[in-house]
Amino acid sequence: MSFLNAVRSFIVVFNYFCMTFTIVLNLVYIVQLFVSFFRVRKDYDRHFSDDYLRYEDSENLMPISLIIPAYNEQENIVQNVRSLMKLNYPSFEIVVINDGSTDRTAELMVNSFHMSPIETSIRSQIPTRHIRKVYYSRKYPNLLFVDKDNGGKSDALNAGINISSYPLFTCLDADSRIEKDALLKLSLEFLKDSRTVVSGGLVRIANGSRIVNGELKGFTMPKKLVERFQIVEYYRSFLMGRVFWGATNSLLIVSGAFGLFRKQTVIDVGGYKTNTIGEDMEIVVRIHRYMRKNRKKYRISFNELAVCWTQGPMSIRDIRSQRRRWQIGLMDTLISHRGMTLNPRYGMVGLLSMPYNWIFELFGAVIETIGYFLVPFSLIMGELNMFFFVMYFLLAVLLGVILSEGSLVLEQYTHRAAMTARQSIEISVYAILENFGYRQMISVFRVEGIIKYRKLRKNWGKIKRKEFDQ
Amino acid sequence: MTYEIISIAALLLCLLIIGVEYIFHYRLAEQQDDNAVRIEGIRRRLKMRVEGVLFAPTASSRAAEITSLVKEINGDYEVYELAVEAMRDYREQSKDERVDRILEEVDEAAKPVELYAKMLEEGDVYHKSYACRRLADLDARDHIDALRRYVNDKNRDLAYNAAMGLARLGDVDTVADYLLSIQDDRMYSARIVNEFFDDFGGDREALAARLFESCNPYMRNTIIKAIAHYKIDAFRPMYLEGAVGDNLQDKIACVKALAAFGYPEDEQILQMAAKDRSWVIRASAVRGLSLLESRTALASVKRALGDREWWVRHAAADSIIKMNISPQDLEDILGGYDRFAADAVKNVLYRMIDNY
Repeated sequence: MSFLNAVRSFIVVFNYFCMTFTIVLNLVYIVQLFVSFFRVRKDYDRHFSDDYLRYEDSENLMPISLIIPAYNEQENIVQNVRSLMKLNYPSFEIVVINDGSTDRTAELMVNSFHMSPIETSIRSQIPTRHIRKVYYSRKYPNLLFVDKDNGGKSDALNAGINISSYPLFTCLDADSRIEKDALLKLSLEFLKDSRTVVSGGLVRIANGSRIVNGELKGFTMPKKLVERFQIVEYYRSFLMGRVFWGATNSLLIVSGAFGLFRKQTVIDVGGYKTNTIGEDMEIVVRIHRYMRKNRKKYRISFNELAVCWTQGPMSIRDIRSQRRRWQIGLMDTLISHRGMTLNPRYGMVGLLSMPYNWIFELFGAVIETIGYFLVPFSLIMGELNMFFFVMYFLLAVLLGVILSEGSLVLEQYTHRAAMTARQSIEISVYAILENFGYRQMISVFRVEGIIKYRKLRKNWGKIKRKEFDQ
Repeated sequence: MTYEIISIAALLLCLLIIGVEYIFHYRLAEQQDDNAVRIEGIRRRLKMRVEGVLFAPTASSRAAEITSLVKEINGDYEVYELAVEAMRDYREQSKDERVDRILEEVDEAAKPVELYAKMLEEGDVYHKSYACRRLADLDARDHIDALRRYVNDKNRDLAYNAAMGLARLGDVDTVADYLLSIQDDRMYSARIVNEFFDDFGGDREALAARLFESCNPYMRNTIIKAIAHYKIDAFRPMYLEGAVGDNLQDKIACVKALAAFGYPEDEQILQMAAKDRSWVIRASAVRGLSLLESRTALASVKRALGDREWWVRHAAADSIIKMNISPQDLEDILGGYDRFAADAVKNVLYRMIDNY
């Protein structure tokens, strides 16, 4: 009898904990939204006065190496390289690293760009797997193609860093497209503040958008619900979350799809970690750690006006795989750098950003998911007052809608004209609908990632994505 | 009962916030739509007006077309910029040099300087910043005093843009004062100094001399590197002194500056620098030596091809093919024991062959 009572007490306490947690989490997000709102407005105005286009022929911008790791990317690679060649930036090189692809990636690259092998010495600053050949094209002198043994994305990036010539580099996904002026906008972060070591750009969901040669040409609502939900989700994550963390110099992740790095800093910290699938987060956390430990002044910024487009997964199966992977990457990084958590030596990163990620991003999913099952169960068991349950549910949904709708307002502040007012309002309907099933499903996938951490932590998996228009 | 009231109040508050967000969102989205339609309309009308100006058969009809264009611009800087953009696009496509003259006529009639001067007076800090740059582009020397007012503004961006504008207009004293005021602020990238010197519309030597009088060593070395390619003879004694001195940073900057001259009398200093402990100095020295025609300089550059530091080898390979190198020397390198030297030269040769 006393055991049953103990279980009942536990359920009641846990219910209260879940409710408090949900409300605190959403309040934290609302603070982020509030700060981001002012930040985005300010950035937009500053962007106007910067008049970035005047730098398009400037020799004062640092040259950039665009590193594209490619593993079995035969569908996208040629198209992507062609689109990158049209970027508006005074000086850049494109380095494609074929990470031991088993498909026709290498053949397509060599044939499409008339490339031939060259002998060249490589400055081996970060150890990598064996590089078989380096190809060079007479027709496209700023393009290099490196064929190497398979070693994973991080190893390919490290090889790219070794062979690249310029002081800044950006890692790009082979299935993403960056906007024509995005590099100009991002590199101004380095020009304007010499402490900048990393700058992340905004990743937007391209599903439904027509992007031709790095320019947004129009938008039609994507057909699948999951694609529509992802549009709202990305706005929330990038425009609210990353803008906030960027503003406090405690951003822990710069998307693997689009980030600009000071090469020497990445070399100083030892390059990308090879045995993780969350290499994009891990490298940023390691840079924070290194810079703070060595008392160096630095800045990791986020520029929401520099845009990269990515095709979001189109099926639940692919979303599941992607979210599990993200959660595993997060967990891996947090565990690897657990010593930074609540350590005053690491300033805002240790005292705010790391605990936030542990509590809300990692364990938050677990608490949320348990709550989804336990709260209705308590209601059935008669342990929860019906009024209280309905109120809690409505409050959780409404707080979620405030955040998503707030992100859509932020999106309007970045002045993207491709979506009409009608489409924009239509998208905001999904800010409500996502609370009825989609968010819960994502939480379950994240928990699955935590459970399968040991098994899947080195497994990238492959996601089927839509192709970009030409 | 209190719980219930609080819960309902919280729900109502949330609903209120969502309602406000939706209204805000809708209004912003509508504004964007209206703006897109407005810009489209302006572009369409401008296209006609610009074509009228560009293809007017006589001077008087052009004057009439310009008057219509100015009416269309109606004191709106955005419309003015769209008109200029349309004309420049046409200039680029058609290579028609008449466009430059026509643009001057349009500027005379539209008086863009007045537009930006008004913006500088009445706009917010961002518009003021923008106006500073535009006034400089338009060579608005009459407004130098207005720009000077903002150089010490507490808004960093505005101060920077005002100073940048003044740099284009060649105002030595104010630009020097501005650069000196930020010399201890490491947030400013050294590239900003480069930018100021590159865009400087006045006497660079006078600006550098004025800065050298009172700047700190970091700024001095940044300036020396920034002006190296302008080869200002007046500073050679300072470069020579720094190149043989003990201070590493001075040496790096001064060797780079001396190397840019390519004077035979500097060979001895560059030869010594090519053996320096610092690879940055060695790389600069190698570039300088490559500008000289002597056998001894060639020998030093060849030796640098096998340097322990990748960047020095890279600089040497890049430089040696620009030197008067004999086929025998080239063959020695390519077939030599030093694989790195051979690879570096091959790499450069591939690119060089393609350029022919």
